[in-house]
Amino acid sequence: MQIWDDKKYLIEKTSDENENPSLKSELLTVNMGPQHPATHGVLRIEIKTDSEIVAKAIPHIGYLHRCMEKHSEKIDYRGVTPFVDRLDYLGAMNMELGYILTVEKMLGTEVPRRAQYIRVLVCELQRIASHLVAFGTYVLDLGAFTPFLYAFEEREKILKFFEEISGARLLYNYIWVGGVWNDITDEQCDFLRNFCEEFEKQLEMYNELVTGNKIFFERTAHVGVFSLQDCFDFGATGPVLRGSGYKWDLRKIHPYCIYNELEFDVPVGTGDHGSTIGDCYNRYQVRMKEMVESLKMVKQILQKLPVGPFMGKAPKVIKLPKGEIFLRTEASRGEIGFHLVSKGDKTPYRLKVKSPCFTHVSMLPHVAPGQMISDFIATVGSIDIVLGEVDR
Amino acid sequence: MSNLITNHDHHDEEEDSVESGLTFTSYMGNIYKAVASTIKGMSITLKYVLTKTPTTLEYPEVKEVLPEASRMRLYNDALNCIACNMCMISCPVNCIYITSFPRSKDLEIPKTSDGTAKRQVLVQYTIDTALCCYCGICTTVCPTECLQHSYDYEFSQYTVKQMKYDYTSEDLISWRDRIVSK
Repeated sequence: MQIWDDKKYLIEKTSDENENPSLKSELLTVNMGPQHPATHGVLRIEIKTDSEIVAKAIPHIGYLHRCMEKHSEKIDYRGVTPFVDRLDYLGAMNMELGYILTVEKMLGTEVPRRAQYIRVLVCELQRIASHLVAFGTYVLDLGAFTPFLYAFEEREKILKFFEEISGARLLYNYIWVGGVWNDITDEQCDFLRNFCEEFEKQLEMYNELVTGNKIFFERTAHVGVFSLQDCFDFGATGPVLRGSGYKWDLRKIHPYCIYNELEFDVPVGTGDHGSTIGDCYNRYQVRMKEMVESLKMVKQILQKLPVGPFMGKAPKVIKLPKGEIFLRTEASRGEIGFHLVSKGDKTPYRLKVKSPCFTHVSMLPHVAPGQMISDFIATVGSIDIVLGEVDR
Repeated sequence: MSNLITNHDHHDEEEDSVESGLTFTSYMGNIYKAVASTIKGMSITLKYVLTKTPTTLEYPEVKEVLPEASRMRLYNDALNCIACNMCMISCPVNCIYITSFPRSKDLEIPKTSDGTAKRQVLVQYTIDTALCCYCGICTTVCPTECLQHSYDYEFSQYTVKQMKYDYTSEDLISWRDRIVSK
């Protein structure tokens, strides 16, 4: 990849003596967004372009800022959960799990085994649903419309299941302190078993349709390369870090809930078919492989699901002891961390969310210079950001 | 500008070698792979067109059956409400407004259908449906279970003000049969 130095570029440009003053060229500013299909949410990227080449990209965030962190200081611990849902609205279960585990750890609540299994089950299903959106919209950005519809067809089945157990399609408020809201019936387990069988075939079909496609490969391979050092410098997590070839997954390294009882691999970018490790193609492949792993976990959970209560003992009015805690979990887009400070009240004194997408957005200006505009769009799509989580 | 870009290319010697490595056979091979993989994809989509039945619901004519746990518009059965204000306190977005005053002790205290004494006189019970976030927390704290999510999701209005419903009004009490039953 050629590296475009912005300052060097400007110096070279001004020192060009042969240039005819009447034909003087300058950088053109183009706004990508605020409403662009490549961004899930509202993100404006100010791009300085030299013809078709991006010289500089400046992301402007804050269009979806809802003051969630400040607002949660005024409401009780249970009332925060609906707001936490709205961070990453494509992976709401993962957000809920992170927040609830934070509160539970501070409270010292014991969660029944069945509830823990159900929690991991819904989180892995949510990961599949979230990656399906990532896959569908990414391919949509690159110009293929059909896989988007196929992906949403499968996602619809997962959402249907979530609607049955929690009553809502996207913003569930399903995981509660002490357990989960609702139990899962045997019929729903059968539905999920059917879904697993069907989805395996669908995944093969996606791979045939998109992953093996030469045009898709040419669009994504060697594009938007994040080197491993870049990822460490910026603090990237999740599929972005794994796409750069580093095996880091909190579910494996610091297992929470019942992840240590499940068998699964952590897929990393391997540079298949002559692609560079850390490029868009590898990040895409990590997501596709993660869906397979999540499916494995769902099958194991359905086999092992213990009988028992789904809701443990939890106080009606939650009052946390004095102190602070930072806990992170592996959400579908990376590590989500909650820093909770309590002064012994009914409400949090401070709730800080460490969002993975925010770090990934901040990597964009680093990788953008020197790219073609179409490649830049491929890069923005490949890091799979949700702006609700960036702005909070 | 073109000068500049060519200058840059000279620095990247690797890229030049990649371009020069493109022989006639590899060029044609690329074209063959692109066409072959596209045809493969087309065959999959064609299979879909011929075998798959439509998944779209023709909405106004065909309606989806809602699951039992669905959380749609809130409905408060004002006759059973004891005005305990639990829902108002627990609401994270403060969309419930309750006005009530204590009943005088001389009169007989009426009871709800499950036998709880109504010690407060409920004057106003308003929910701003436009502000509600449908999280369902208020329904879980309700002691008499008079506040519940109905299965009614078709309640669009022309103005935001019309989305505020006072559940003590007689019109809304008469809605019960329509929106609470599935």
